[in-house]
Amino acid sequence: MLAACALALVGPFVWMVLASLKTDADIRALPPSIIPDPVTGENYRRVVDTFPFWRFARNSVLVAGLSTGLQLFTSATAAYAFARIEFRGRALLFGLYLATMMIPLQVIVVPLFIEMRNLHLVDTFAGLILPTLVSTFGVFLLRQAFSALPRELDEAAFIDGAGHFRVFARVLLPLIGPALATFAVFAFMSTWNSFLWPLVITQPSDRHVTLPVGLARLNGRFSTDWNVVMAGAVMTIVPILAFYLATQRWVIRSVAFAGLKG
Amino acid sequence: MNRKTAAIALAAGLSLGGSAAGITGASAEEVTLSYFTFSAAPDHLEDLDAIVAAFEAEHPSVTIEVQTAAYDDYFTSLQTQIAGGAAPDTFELNYESFVTYARSGALLDLTDHVGDLGRYYPLALEGFQDGGVQYGLPATFSDVVLIYNKDLFDAAGLDYPTADWTWEDEQAAAEALTDADAGVYGDFQPVSFFEFYKALAQAGGTFFDDEGNAAFNSPEGVAAAEWLTGKPGTTMPTLAEIGGTPDFDTNLFRSGKLAMWHNGIWQFTGLNEAGVNYDIVVEPGSVTPANAVFMNGAVASAGTDHPSEAAAWIEFLTGSPTTVETRLASSWELPAVDDDAAFASYLEITPPENREAVFEALEHIVLPPVIERQQELQDTVTRALERILIDGVEVQTALDDAVAEVDELR
Repeated sequence: MLAACALALVGPFVWMVLASLKTDADIRALPPSIIPDPVTGENYRRVVDTFPFWRFARNSVLVAGLSTGLQLFTSATAAYAFARIEFRGRALLFGLYLATMMIPLQVIVVPLFIEMRNLHLVDTFAGLILPTLVSTFGVFLLRQAFSALPRELDEAAFIDGAGHFRVFARVLLPLIGPALATFAVFAFMSTWNSFLWPLVITQPSDRHVTLPVGLARLNGRFSTDWNVVMAGAVMTIVPILAFYLATQRWVIRSVAFAGLKG
Repeated sequence: MNRKTAAIALAAGLSLGGSAAGITGASAEEVTLSYFTFSAAPDHLEDLDAIVAAFEAEHPSVTIEVQTAAYDDYFTSLQTQIAGGAAPDTFELNYESFVTYARSGALLDLTDHVGDLGRYYPLALEGFQDGGVQYGLPATFSDVVLIYNKDLFDAAGLDYPTADWTWEDEQAAAEALTDADAGVYGDFQPVSFFEFYKALAQAGGTFFDDEGNAAFNSPEGVAAAEWLTGKPGTTMPTLAEIGGTPDFDTNLFRSGKLAMWHNGIWQFTGLNEAGVNYDIVVEPGSVTPANAVFMNGAVASAGTDHPSEAAAWIEFLTGSPTTVETRLASSWELPAVDDDAAFASYLEITPPENREAVFEALEHIVLPPVIERQQELQDTVTRALERILIDGVEVQTALDDAVAEVDELR
């Protein structure tokens, strides 16, 4: 049973890797074969040759890395405020915050583009990153993590003369490490994979194009070389995989914690 | 308020005067033009670079910045940029979407900026006019032909299709060639708007009547719809089998399991690589021959700061000898120029033996009907055909409903 589930989940990835090693004739064969014969590395070379792949990769790493770091900062500070500081209208403000999760990007993409244009940020890294800075999901997730910590911790710190910032940075933040790691993975993945916003904001030059947008150009209008697309896809998910493996320890711990509480 | 009006008037005056002063002014200042395209990536980026380099050599003060996107994402990005007031100076449009952009006021009137247009195919040139105004120049065309697998015809002992074939001949051959047990199909014609408007013309009907009302629920329309929807499940795989599989028909034909295929001339390169034994012929008509063509053109944005340079660039991009040579040498669609001598080298490439059919098809071209809300029009027609096939709705009813919907869109 477990093996069957694992196969269903891992299958598409294995298929992607195998397809990326096939020749043109092999990938079009009917019925489709599973094992590439012969194995070729040609598709990877074509991905790198057709486009400035390394520049796209560097852009993606830069944008996803910076955005994740900044999102962690804005989400953690906002979450602390919502969890620990009493102020008028807090619940209402938080509700409004959550409500914005309902608005899809497609609805606001044109006004957002106009805003960026007025700020002269079209086709810049700032224009790519700015709209991703605040994550409602992150605020929500981290607020829950802060709320779960006992109040006595900050009370003790306040009695010792610590201010809000010190309590936040020195006392509470180290305790929500697993939640931070979980959110970091989510944030990194969503900025790494995001497509629509990078597509519209990176025109009209090639300088700031990210990997998914660059990769989409491998699709032709009338036909597509799927083996090359698969090779591009493999090269695109490797960094996410690396990021996940690096933070895996923390993520699993956070899931385990959540499980214990329930 | 007054000052603002004055500023607008001044700006308008400058942009009008720009056409006359443009070229002389250009030598003094460096101009950068953006060009946005869907047809270059991924296979023809180097060819486009060569065209850009040749243009920049002729116009040293102008730099072209190329930005590409896949066809599926292109219009999302283009619409956002235009709506956001940051349209690219020049960009590519296909014939079907041209009218939408021309009528929205997004395109530059090229009349005062371009010279002799005699080198373009008259029909292609007309395709990029709206209300008598030349808003774009035709860049490329690709037509649709009947591609057939010679080995399968030989094995079945059937004569190859000829230019005189009608629907009945095609159907008879398709039935003889289909061998469901062996997974071999006689025919493949997509059930879509693009096939329907053409089949309608072949049956002798018109999409819009003289008053501009939708009229494709005529007896000819019914015949066209029956012709298209009669294929899946008999001489062609069912829609469920085809599903969303990308390049289903391409793979079927390349693996030698499809005898006749209604598809475009852009398939030749891939078929030659795959080594299929094939040839082509103009598509069979019914009452009359009618052939479909896909055209792309280049346009300039109404808001560009450099209208004369932009026009010079798209003129070069669409009609210069460099472009014609580059496109033909790399089979990057066909340039829309009226120049038999230029096509001589293209005709020599075999297979297909009967490459001449690509040009024969141009003699009976029927252009797709276009309205401002083009995408909705296309979706409506395709959905009507699918209702007939999948939901079993009566042909006349489905077309009547679609006609009513299309009249709402106009």
